[in-house]
Formats: sequence, C-alpha cells, structure tokens
Amino acid sequence: MLWRIDPASDEPLYSQLVAQVHLAAARGEVAPGDRLPAARELAESLELNIHTVLKAYQQLRDQGLIELRRGRGAVVTGAAARDLSPVEKALAAFLAAARDARLSPQATTTLVKEAMKR
Amino acid sequence: MTPPSGPSTEAWRPHARLAAACSALAALVLVTVAAVVVWSWREDLPDPVASHWSGAGRPDGFMSLGTFVLTTVAMVVGCSLLFGAIGWFRGAASSTRRTVAAATVWVGGFGATLLLGTVATQRGLDDAAQATAPGTALALALLVPLVPAAVAAWLVPGDPHRPAVAPPDADAARTRLGPGERAVWIRRVGGGPALAAGGVAVVGTALLAVFLQVWAMLVAPVLLALAVAAMFAFTVRVDATGLTVRSVLGWPRTHVPADEIERARVSRVSPLRDFGGWGWRVGAGGRTGVVLRAGESLEVERTGGRGLVVTVDDAATAASLLNTVAERAR
Repeated sequence: MLWRIDPASDEPLYSQLVAQVHLAAARGEVAPGDRLPAARELAESLELNIHTVLKAYQQLRDQGLIELRRGRGAVVTGAAARDLSPVEKALAAFLAAARDARLSPQATTTLVKEAMKR
Repeated sequence: MTPPSGPSTEAWRPHARLAAACSALAALVLVTVAAVVVWSWREDLPDPVASHWSGAGRPDGFMSLGTFVLTTVAMVVGCSLLFGAIGWFRGAASSTRRTVAAATVWVGGFGATLLLGTVATQRGLDDAAQATAPGTALALALLVPLVPAAVAAWLVPGDPHRPAVAPPDADAARTRLGPGERAVWIRRVGGGPALAAGGVAVVGTALLAVFLQVWAMLVAPVLLALAVAAMFAFTVRVDATGLTVRSVLGWPRTHVPADEIERARVSRVSPLRDFGGWGWRVGAGGRTGVVLRAGESLEVERTGGRGLVVTVDDAATAASLLNTVAERAR
C-alpha cells in the first residue's frame, strides 16, 4: 500500500499513518492476514523516527485493526475487513449538503469534530 | 516491450564480453588442470574406470579414462558457452555479469572436483567394479566450487553511477505530492506457481536421496530449498531513494536509485516468453526480471539500457510514485 506523510500538516505524524491503514483497509488495499511493513523499514523510507511508526502500530493494535506478533510483525486482523461503503456514502451526501450550504472546508471539519465530541 | 537502443545504452557491452570471456577461461583452466592431474594417474587406474554408480552404491557405468575426461571437459565447455552467451548478449546489468561469472566458474570447479573425486578413489584398484560410490566426492563437488564462484562474482566490477539527464516523459503517470510530503509504497510478493514447482523439486530430490540412501545427495535439496526461499519471496519498495527489491532472506536484492530511473510503467509479463521461466531472471535486451507469475508487473527503464521488471500487484501506484520520485531527484 501507499503511505504518505505531510510534516506540514497539523495532524500528528503517527495519526496520519493510522488514518491511512484505516483507509487502505476500507478500500480493500490491505486484507486480513496481510503483513504491514516492518516498523524500521517504514520509518527509514518516510524519514521518521521509528517510535512514531511504533506508536501508530500500537494505536492500530488497540483499535483491533492489527495484531503485533513477535517475529511476524504487524498482521492485519479480520476486523479490518469492515465494509466502510455506508460511511463513505453518507459522507458523500454530507459533503454535498455542506457544499450546497456554502460551508467552508474549515467550518465543515469543525462541524464534524464538534459532533464527534458529543 | 522492446527496450530502447542507441549508443548510450550499449556502453555495457565491453564489460559483458570481458566478464563472459574471463570466467569461461577460468572454468576451462580449472577443468583442464583436473584433467591433466587425473591423466597423470593413468598407470594406477583400472581400465575402464567406473563413471556411474547405481543407487545401491555399485558402479554400473564404465568408460575408458580418456572418454570420461573428455565427457567432463565437454560438459564444462558446453555450460561455459551457454552461460557465456547469456553474459555476452544480455549482461547489461552488473548483477547479470556477476551471476554469469559465478555460474561459469562454478561449473568449471564442479567438473574439476567431480573428476578428481571420482577417479582418486579408484587409484590402485585392479577392477573398477570394486570402486566405492563417491557420495562425499559429489557433495564436495557441489560445495567446494562455491568458493571460486564467489571470488569470480566479487571480481566483476559494479556499474558506475549513471544519473539520467532528463526527467520522465510528461505523459508518464505521476503521484501528486505536496511540496514537503513524503511517500513510500511497499508490497510483498511471493508464492505462485514458481514456489509450488520449487517445493516439488525440493521434496523430490530429498526423497530420491533417502530412497537411494545416498546421504551426501541431501546437499542438493538443501541448496534447492535455499534457492527457492531466496528467489520466490520478495519485498518491493518505492521511496525517495528509488526502487528496492529485496528477498525475504536479505539476498538477492537490487536497488535502482531514483536519479537513474528514466521512466516507470505498468507492463504485462509472460514468464516463459519474456524471461524463459520464473525467479530472478535475465531477459531479451539484458532486462532483469523478478518474475513470480504471469501478468501485471512494474517495469523500470534504467540508464545504460538496464531494465528491471518485477511482477507485483498494484504496479500502477508503484510506477506513478517512482516517476514522481525520479523527477524530484533531478
């Protein structure tokens, strides 16, 4: 799968990684049983500290998306196979509505963040 | 899928010819020295000598010493010519030239040790029918020549760093990246029909050794298993440094630096037609192939006429990221 990191973004680096695994799983780019790259390899390629990658992997494990096994690395679990198409459908509808209401991207994101805090 | 040709892509030819010729010469010298030594023993040897042994360890094939020596030398010459031709015509990448040199020298060493090992035990015998099975000689003949083969590979010089002059063509697919954004694409490849065939070969040779009770022959399945493990499971990685293809064992591996990439694209591979088989191969025009199955593959045009083809899914993502990092490296 493709991993990308934008150091200029406000989002912490490790959570950028976490979000991409969620997306890749939803799109079927990684399947249950697939192995994620070794943390060291990913860290080297993206010029990240290895602890950043490990933090992302630990969070993914806490969320049940991967299992961390000694010697086998990070293995994607069955939970990752969740079908996110209803969410993407609802999101598309939400974004269309936001555009119709001429909400700015910032205002739209704020709306979502506020809603999630409730 | 025809590689580009022109003066700049032909610079490898003198290196390829030198490596092919020198290693063939070395193989010939090795087997000739062994032939001379064995010939000098002819007064102590039975006539004919035993040249083949049955599974039960009894000799069942006999030849005059002269024929046995000539057959072995002919085997070495035949293999040297075949490997030499591959190096001569397809040695665009230094990895190909190294492999050709190692394989040629190994065959020379194999012929030499086999000749010495099987004949040495027959010295002083009146009748070749008493000759014991050369199990140890066979194992030694497989293993010992690995040493000069490694030396030959080490002696072949690597390719000089040859940066590309122009960025990839404008019509080559790109991945959109922000100015400071970093990206990597990593995928494992493995299995496929090649792995199954390799597994069958390992089990087959192991069973044969057990059935014949020639324990030294177990060297063959062990070497085969190592080769299968090294050849049929890879990690393919595209990042800012370029493309890295690495066996799960850590070797073999290859790296194409981003600034040597002229263009990356998705292509389709037919293992038999394009590369004559599966595994780490060399194809027409000196392209290197890491071929585990038919179908979708990532194809990279590297400076100096060195192409690399890797069969991998999602090759489109890899190719567009490679074009982007190649452009960034200019």
